[in-house]
Amino acid sequence: MTTSALILLSYVLLAVFLLAFVLRSVRLARFPVHLRWELSPVPHEKGKGHYGGSYLEELEWWNKPRKKDHVAEITYMAKEILFLKALWEHNRKLWWFSFPFHLGLYLLVGGAILFLLGGLGAVLGIQGPGWGIFSRGIVVLAGGGYALGALGAIGLFLTRLSDKGMRNSTAPVTFLNLLLLFAMFATGLWAVLTVTGFAGQVLAFGGALFSADLGVEIAGILKAHFLFAFLFLAYLPFTQMMHFVAKYFTYHKVRWDDEPVVAGSKLDRKLKVLLGQPVTWAAPHIRADGKRNWVDIATDIGRKKEEVDQ
Amino acid sequence: MSDDVQVKSTATAEEQRPTQNEDGMTQETGNRSATEMQARDEGTKTEETKADRKKIWGKKEKPRVKDISRKELDVLEPVSIDELMPLPPPYDKIEEQPGWKEMSEEAKAGTQCTLDGFAASPIPQPESPEEEEELVEAFVSGLKKLLSRENNWEFLQPLTLSIDYCVGCQTCADACHVFKGSGEKEIYRPTYRSEVFRKLVKKYVKPGGKILSHFTGADIDLNWETVTRLYELAYRCNLCRRCAQTCPIGVDNGLIAHELRKVFSQELGWAPRELHEKGTELQLQIGSSTGMNPVVVKDNIEFIDEDMEDETGIHVETPFDKEDAEYLLIHNAGEILAWPENPGAFSIIMEKAGLDWTMSSEEVGYDGVNYGLFYDDVQLARIALTHAQIGKKLGAKKLIMGECGHQHKALMTVADRVLGGDNNIPRESALTLLEEIVFSGKIEFDPSKNDFPVTLHDPCNIVRNLGIVEPQRRILRYLCPQFREMTPHGVDNYCCGGGSGFAVMSPFNFTDWRVSIASRMKFKQILDAFADQPEPEVKKYICAPCSNCKGQIRDVLQYYGALDKSGITYGGLVELIVNAMVDVEEPFIHWEMH
Repeated sequence: MTTSALILLSYVLLAVFLLAFVLRSVRLARFPVHLRWELSPVPHEKGKGHYGGSYLEELEWWNKPRKKDHVAEITYMAKEILFLKALWEHNRKLWWFSFPFHLGLYLLVGGAILFLLGGLGAVLGIQGPGWGIFSRGIVVLAGGGYALGALGAIGLFLTRLSDKGMRNSTAPVTFLNLLLLFAMFATGLWAVLTVTGFAGQVLAFGGALFSADLGVEIAGILKAHFLFAFLFLAYLPFTQMMHFVAKYFTYHKVRWDDEPVVAGSKLDRKLKVLLGQPVTWAAPHIRADGKRNWVDIATDIGRKKEEVDQ
Repeated sequence: MSDDVQVKSTATAEEQRPTQNEDGMTQETGNRSATEMQARDEGTKTEETKADRKKIWGKKEKPRVKDISRKELDVLEPVSIDELMPLPPPYDKIEEQPGWKEMSEEAKAGTQCTLDGFAASPIPQPESPEEEEELVEAFVSGLKKLLSRENNWEFLQPLTLSIDYCVGCQTCADACHVFKGSGEKEIYRPTYRSEVFRKLVKKYVKPGGKILSHFTGADIDLNWETVTRLYELAYRCNLCRRCAQTCPIGVDNGLIAHELRKVFSQELGWAPRELHEKGTELQLQIGSSTGMNPVVVKDNIEFIDEDMEDETGIHVETPFDKEDAEYLLIHNAGEILAWPENPGAFSIIMEKAGLDWTMSSEEVGYDGVNYGLFYDDVQLARIALTHAQIGKKLGAKKLIMGECGHQHKALMTVADRVLGGDNNIPRESALTLLEEIVFSGKIEFDPSKNDFPVTLHDPCNIVRNLGIVEPQRRILRYLCPQFREMTPHGVDNYCCGGGSGFAVMSPFNFTDWRVSIASRMKFKQILDAFADQPEPEVKKYICAPCSNCKGQIRDVLQYYGALDKSGITYGGLVELIVNAMVDVEEPFIHWEMH
């Protein structure tokens, strides 16, 4: 594949990624509000989060101002995102591969930011004396990211293969995902180790992406690496690997969503709309006919009052 | 598979000496003989079973997720006592443990015990292949409704997140007391049920799901066996959500079990009798899942008041239907029948503290039970709305949840979002109120009266799900000099094994399952908490401030004879409070199994 063809393909793959990523994220955000389903510990509970307590421990909690500890919540998430705290505490065996895998990805995201900024800088002609930091940064971040990612991906692949419990809930496609990621990391690592002027070629390719300069040429292994990387990006939103976005919702919108209903509030109004929807569940005791809404059926307890009184 | 590869529901079925009881069940007449157990120790039966399983599952010896649809299996994954998680002495000898009931052919006819040899609920038996097909199609229809905004706005977001983003890391497995207690049976792995569900959704609900289904993991067949085994499997989870708590992604396998139960109830009309007919329906029709109507409840409470006066010398008259009271106390009505000392103790405390309170004698208003929480959102909403409306009608300032975990969760949080507008009435936990009373100085206490080992069971619905952790502990630390925690405790606790309605479910051989498997981890925790004083002469108390937990713990202690062997009994929190009251001269706590 020529570099120009790779650049054109990259545009397509990036477009697929952006579109699918946005659509899937929006879908997650637009779900209707649900019944409360919080789960302790809720870290934003000021003074209580550390032991799992909540405002429901307070007498007349509805008359007291809610005190939320946003710093504790952010700290909790930071530890989870950066160090995979839950896995460290509850599944140490997997952490040893999952952590380098994720750290590798984080480093590559850092490298990718430099790659894009560098590419943009090249297009705009901004290449001052301090510009060398981009080159060095890309080499360090990419090199570290590829090595850790490759180690993690192969470790996770082998763990899934050997652990009976994991094997049973792992679809063939998941193994393919890990192989794709390994291919991306391995080709990247190979390129770092073998391509002379790795950072320069990376920045040149980044610049070409911004300027649509189809005349740029890069090493074959780098082409293979960028191909795997963009294929992975385009594929990512269609997989469970989007859990890095889903995790915001599972934590903030489910586990930690402890907002009580206050009569007349915005939440109350939203719920009224939802309760006005027709119900079509078919079991006889529901007494739904497709026209009666949630309020109708929830207030119809079906008691034969006269019979009970008799 | 050949017909000769049939695995028995329990390895010991032939070894037992069964007698048939009136329910069509067979019950072991005693503990296994030494000879029988010796044969087991020699491994003959176990080896035979393992060999059989190897033929079925290949090298894995464990069922794969897709095997749930295999028609040729008598039992998908059998369970036997000798494979369960070991217990500490003196409960470590299998030959001394009570056996399990073997279901008679007659009892089996109305159920589907091909999952693990146990049955939690009767299942309607289709009379023709066409009817069977219709029921399977109805199940798919239910799955589609479960994923629709109109029919399941209540849990669509958390459910979708749990369907789409599990990475199968199995972190949840070690957190599950049923999986660990069973000796790590594959079908009890939290992800097993969820994976069946995911595969079915992927293949039969999502567009194009059958394309490359083996590659994407949607390699499952939908048939009568899949549906009925999945129904039973939905009732092998206590919905305690300990697995969800440990999941790095935030996936909730407990929620998936809950949502599956909803499909069966809300679409097919299938639910365990104890939860539906004798549960929510009875409560909505008569007033209580106990069957007590208002007249009976008032009579019973009057009797309890008299008994309390005889026992403590304190005169109380529990108020009913007092208008505009500060507190409307709603007990789990099961307490009134099974543990009358609990509502009795509540009345003593409320009266001695001089509170302005009442109970309701209106149907549903005297029973805080809401089994809808476990299996049916519509029934949940109906009962919660009725509770709120009764409180409003009486003009109560707030509703107080008695010592009942699922009542707390149903009324304080889960149903909160159907109690908007005019139905919005403040709700508070009795544990919070009790803490206020105990430390208010209105009642004089002598903690030395509670000078015996006490440990605390944390009801999942109050602690892990609501975050009410400390009030009950502050009371126990103050009133019980020998209070000690279980390990783990607080929000990390293990379920008692009776959660999600199991404590009241005893059909067929299900009690054996819930007591010996679902409660195994809790029983071990209890024994470990009292390990420093194991002798039966030292009387010990498990404080379980939840009616269902108490019921389950009672069954476990009885099953193992733990009062005689270890001196362990159980009860609620208010009993300990009254026992420590200076005004109460005779001990309020009795060291007996009740």
